[in-house]
Amino acid sequence: MVDNTRKTQLGTTAKPVIWGVIVIVLAVTFATVPFVTGNLSFMFYMMLWMTMATAFNFVAGLAGYMPFGYVAFYGVGAYATGILYKTAGLPIVVSLIGAGAAGIAVALIMAPTLRLRGVYFGIVSLAIALAAKLIISLLPPKIAGGSMGLILSSANNPKAAYYTMFIVLMLALATGTWLFFSRTGTALRAMRDDREAAEVVGVNVVRTRLKAWVAAAVFPAFAGGIEAWYTNAIDLESSFNLLVTAKSIVYAMAGGLGYLIGPIVGSSLLYGVDHLIWQKFPTLNLLLLGIVIVALILAMPRGIVGAFAQRFSRLRKYIP
Amino acid sequence: MNELLLQGLINGIILGMIYALIGLGLNVVFGVLRVVNFAHGEFIILGSYAAYFLQRLLGLSPFLAMPLIFASFGVLGYLMYFVLIRRLAKSDDPEHSSLLVMFGVSIALGALMLLFFEADSRSLAYSFDPPFLMFGSVIIPTTKLVALGVVLAITAVLAFFLYRTLPGKALRAITMNRDAVQIVGVDLEQLSAMTLGLGLGLAGVTGVLVAMIFPAFSPFIGQDYTLIGFIVIVLGGLGHPVGAIVGGIIFGLTEQTAQVYMNGSIASLMGFLLLIGVILVRPTGIFGREAMK
Repeated sequence: MVDNTRKTQLGTTAKPVIWGVIVIVLAVTFATVPFVTGNLSFMFYMMLWMTMATAFNFVAGLAGYMPFGYVAFYGVGAYATGILYKTAGLPIVVSLIGAGAAGIAVALIMAPTLRLRGVYFGIVSLAIALAAKLIISLLPPKIAGGSMGLILSSANNPKAAYYTMFIVLMLALATGTWLFFSRTGTALRAMRDDREAAEVVGVNVVRTRLKAWVAAAVFPAFAGGIEAWYTNAIDLESSFNLLVTAKSIVYAMAGGLGYLIGPIVGSSLLYGVDHLIWQKFPTLNLLLLGIVIVALILAMPRGIVGAFAQRFSRLRKYIP
Repeated sequence: MNELLLQGLINGIILGMIYALIGLGLNVVFGVLRVVNFAHGEFIILGSYAAYFLQRLLGLSPFLAMPLIFASFGVLGYLMYFVLIRRLAKSDDPEHSSLLVMFGVSIALGALMLLFFEADSRSLAYSFDPPFLMFGSVIIPTTKLVALGVVLAITAVLAFFLYRTLPGKALRAITMNRDAVQIVGVDLEQLSAMTLGLGLGLAGVTGVLVAMIFPAFSPFIGQDYTLIGFIVIVLGGLGHPVGAIVGGIIFGLTEQTAQVYMNGSIASLMGFLLLIGVILVRPTGIFGREAMK
């Protein structure tokens, strides 16, 4: 019998190593940017979208849910930060932690919807996002700023915001690593592929998907809060904009759901393209986003990484 | 009974029937194709724009515009099936894929309308003589009454089509059991394409009605209508035409009576809470089937 165990061992240790290298490259790239240039904006948003796409992948790629109301976490995080900082007068870091807590709270409230099938789940999460937006708009203007929103000018510190985003991105990647390589990740993939079979093997479906769901919720909440800190302004239209969901979905899917590097590849490529289009053809931006979504699903439903894995299937065990 | 409440109830039923029409369009497409048309609202608004421009440029009354719009949107839907939807049936996850494709179409369509028609709100200038009818102390604008009549007529024609003609019966058969239908010899492809055409045609006609009844429309307001459609069909049960009518009326009544007592935003909130509540308690809606994961 041919000894294949060595080959398999190489395969299984290669994946985490490759992932580790990628993470280190990312970390070094982002950490050194403020020393090279004063224009933090592009890289800040790149980190933001990477975080959003990675967290979206937790629930869409690993568990198989498509939350169309994903922006709810983002908006709630932004407003939680704003309200805690401005109205309650707490320091910005505490407010951001509050944003994360708010995200987790919303996720737990939404937990009962996880038992719904794909289409229903998508619709109800969209409804919940819009309901959250309406509820915040109905809060007294002294607390939440009404339709004018909140301004956080006294917390202005772009560099600190940048590095906080960096920390959050690293945390997101670490969570992804844990989810992906641990038994929880295997359980999630089992659930995604065949729920009944997973239950038969002993996977606690409800608890496992709740873990993925909460993980997917806390990072957009942080992202929303940090973005609010970076731009100093929070308002209903941009905090609860459907485009936030759309971009998270597209960036994650373009790279490839279910792969750790999928969202990284997708967001770096597409955010770069998006930025270019914004600079050259601002009015076409939205149209191109819609067309990209359609073209992506028709031509490359598994994303770039997925298509690559399909074409070169022997390399699949090396792709994190 | 309190006059305002009575007014609210009647408004609720009239608007509810319009909402039901939106739901019917969505339901027909979902039942047969298993595709949730996320872009339904945008097609409705496209219909509104079509009626607007047909009136501006050719002087056509909205009533004459309706069959034209139905036919052209029908052809558009038929073609769209072959371009977009057919490939998705073979993908890993047809349900999510079609949801996302239509999501992309809705964004692209909204952006296209913004590019061509600009962001200003438009309204359709059409009034009847007399503009209002009074029933006791209840005031009903003639336009709304006429629109109600049109919706009832369309629903009757649709019901006749679905229950008395062969293609219509085939559509219902596909909704019930896709595989068996092919054994019996029904051309699934042609019928699916026809259904998408029917769905979009209904959306276009709904758009004309919407332009007549609601004060104004703009490129991105389609999302609101898509959401109303979702609420209606979830209430009534995905894929069930009768359910759409019941769901539409329930939602219309809830929204309008809420508006009598509370302000507009809270009334909208009621709608969402109703949707969320129904999905959690009885996800299949009033008439639907399986929905749990």
